[in-house]
Amino acid sequence: MRFTKSLCIAAISAALLFSLAATSASAARRPHYGGTLRVELLSSTFSLDPREWKPGSLSAREDEKLAALVYDRLVTLDDYGRFQSALAVEWSRDAAAKNWQFKLRPNVKFSDGTPLTPADVVTALQSVLTGNLQLAASENSITIRSPHPVPDLLEQLASGPHFIFRALPDDTLLGTGSFYVAEIDAASPYESNPLATKPARLRFRANEESWAGRPFLDAIEVTLGEPPLRQLFDLQVGKADIVEVAPDLVRKARQDNLRVWSSAPNTLLALRFDEAQPATADVHLREALALSLDRDTMANVLLQKQAEPSAALLPNWLSGYAFLFESPMNLERAKEIRSSLPANEAGGAEPLRLHVDATGDLMKLLAERVAVNARQANLSVQVITHIVSSTGGAAPISSATPPMGMHLFTWHYDSLSPRVELDALLRQLHLEPSAENSLPFIEPEQRFTEERRLLEERRVLPLVLLPEYVGIATPVRNWMPARWGAWRLADVWLEKGESAPPAPTAGASPENSAMPHGRGAHP
Amino acid sequence: MPRNSLSAACYHRYRIAVLPRSESYRSRPTLFFLILFLLCFVVSPRAFSADSNSLDDAVRQLADRIAAIPNLHGPLRLEFHADANLAADSTWQDSLRQELEKHRLPVTDESSAPLLKIGAVETPTQVVLSASTRIGDRDDVRIVTFTRATLSTPALAVAPIRIARQLIYESSDRILDASAFGNAAEGGLAVLLDRNAGLFALRLDPSGAVKQTVSLAAANLRATRDPRGELIDKGASAEVLLPGKICEFSWAAGEEPKCRAKKVEARTATVLTSPCDTSNWKLETKGEDWSSPDLLQIAPDSAARAGSAALFNEFPGPILSINGELDPGSALIVARNLRTGNYEVYKITLHCGN
Repeated sequence: MRFTKSLCIAAISAALLFSLAATSASAARRPHYGGTLRVELLSSTFSLDPREWKPGSLSAREDEKLAALVYDRLVTLDDYGRFQSALAVEWSRDAAAKNWQFKLRPNVKFSDGTPLTPADVVTALQSVLTGNLQLAASENSITIRSPHPVPDLLEQLASGPHFIFRALPDDTLLGTGSFYVAEIDAASPYESNPLATKPARLRFRANEESWAGRPFLDAIEVTLGEPPLRQLFDLQVGKADIVEVAPDLVRKARQDNLRVWSSAPNTLLALRFDEAQPATADVHLREALALSLDRDTMANVLLQKQAEPSAALLPNWLSGYAFLFESPMNLERAKEIRSSLPANEAGGAEPLRLHVDATGDLMKLLAERVAVNARQANLSVQVITHIVSSTGGAAPISSATPPMGMHLFTWHYDSLSPRVELDALLRQLHLEPSAENSLPFIEPEQRFTEERRLLEERRVLPLVLLPEYVGIATPVRNWMPARWGAWRLADVWLEKGESAPPAPTAGASPENSAMPHGRGAHP
Repeated sequence: MPRNSLSAACYHRYRIAVLPRSESYRSRPTLFFLILFLLCFVVSPRAFSADSNSLDDAVRQLADRIAAIPNLHGPLRLEFHADANLAADSTWQDSLRQELEKHRLPVTDESSAPLLKIGAVETPTQVVLSASTRIGDRDDVRIVTFTRATLSTPALAVAPIRIARQLIYESSDRILDASAFGNAAEGGLAVLLDRNAGLFALRLDPSGAVKQTVSLAAANLRATRDPRGELIDKGASAEVLLPGKICEFSWAAGEEPKCRAKKVEARTATVLTSPCDTSNWKLETKGEDWSSPDLLQIAPDSAARAGSAALFNEFPGPILSINGELDPGSALIVARNLRTGNYEVYKITLHCGN
């Protein structure tokens, strides 16, 4: 019944829209409504519950892209540094930026037709906002109060997990976004070949009642867990419209004349020392290793110029000052320091063990490069690969595994606030802020000083920054993502006639299919 | 008199029209005081010590802070690390040199002079200016920021030969159509725009200031990601053509627009007449979508000019509407500037020769 009504509304809207289409025949080509956008992602699991996301994780990066289809935020940030209204139409704050008020957009409905209330907004934000913030709902607005200034509250609300949703008693989340989850098809063996696994699929349908207007696409079909080479092949043969391109495949994709977009470098690859192996407590040892690292080779040779060397924790596009940090390779100095260390350290009695999650060849290659660099400075580093299961979860490290002295880790920047990002990174790495900077790093000079202190301690050694690479099929129009990586698929449309035939739809209903780690909003 | 002033003094401050918009308020005194109160509540980004509100101010502030670095003596050797956008404009770099010289910190190219690194980076919300110099064994760093949205737009490039192009209005609101104000004696412009999912017709004076705002809520349109509409100004009154509807209103009277269902006839391609030989020239675009700049093509549309090459004019973003003016030699073009995100109204005029 509801479907029939939606169909009628869609048909009438389309007829009305097209009645004026010819009036602009001499202007830029107008968007087309309809079609299914086929997206392929590397990750094999997903979670549409922002409360579950782990800050800085690559899985949270993927989850945020999917969640942006079904949920809205209070505000968004455009490409020109201007905050735009979304579920909030007005906002104001006091001089100290401790008290904020957001007036909510009237008549917004969740995908099940129920109205959005200020209480929904408060509940959703309370579950994802960090810091000692007090939220309260009133008739048509919400207030946020903080004991200390939060001048970057809009940056926080426009990024990361700060979506507005309503949790139903069965833990399903409803959103007000441009799409809703229509079908979830879990990964399962093929009937014809039980040894092969059919990848998991998610199907999102256009929300006809979206406050921002119906999206141009009818649906988005997301296939999870597709390996990088398979994604590239599917893009080439017209079986996919949007795919992730692994850094080591970017050159090939461009040589094949595929359309490849890259974001600002939004993922950091870095080394973290762990005192589980006592030798790493020696600051001189850490300094010797830091001086041995050849970041330029890592970025330009191993990663084929698809990455940037990094000596900072926050990227330049986020902090504005990262270029001030330099960490040139100095092998002579590294050897000098090494020779001053006790002979049984780092290579004498036992090597420094570098732990790496084997989520891809890239991480292993980098770890091996670190070991080679260290060897040049007469330091011994042993790479220990940690097998990651096909579902994305890491197998537990066995008790027989020797203690690790270093970890190679990735950190995805998911906040538009450099303060929040630095704070989250410190917490994740269990690094304490300095006493004088125990208050939030509001001022950029405070942040710089704190970051410099952390880098000088050399408990974390940044290596390279990676952008996201996306392959885009020819029929995709209005591809206007944010440089920090948000895809904005609600504005994308497909050129008719250029599109490959739509992929078959998944047949499972949301009731009888569930991903191991996924939840979805449905009407 | 304005009939439908937007009662949102605190309407989020980041969404600003670049040209002055003097929307006068014909409101009751209580509303006036409420607005004053709200204005006091809203604070400009300058409230924070290291913030500044424009590139010029920020450069001055950075020079002041550099001059205050203990034990820093000139002359200094500058090394700039700027984002592409900021590197392209050397004006601020020259200003910084001048400001430093005012502080008795002259600038030199001598390689033996102390190095002062200057950074200028656009982050998602801010422009960060930084200065770093080595004093003893430590880098001394000073940072000044200002809101990126306040970066001004450089002057429009000179129009190419034979096509005069003039930017006459710009706004962060989505402009759907523009029409020359019908009352020739008053001059000015009427624009149709989408503001926060609502349609409004604005009457602007020749300086770009908003004289009147009319809400078209009466049209009761469904929200859409591709709002469309045409504005036809008739002097005292105006018509707005919307999908399946027409709305009429009088600028002078204080009543709501009256809307009724109507099949809208297509606006035909705009044709301009050359002032030189009365030949006709058709305006066309080849835009793919909203993500790339458009090229306006002015092609001969009459036998007198058959075989003539078309003229081209590149816009800073997609062209969204073309409207022939009362004057047959000019047209109004609405385009989105992809560099600034603003919607812009240009006047295109054909000229003889140069």
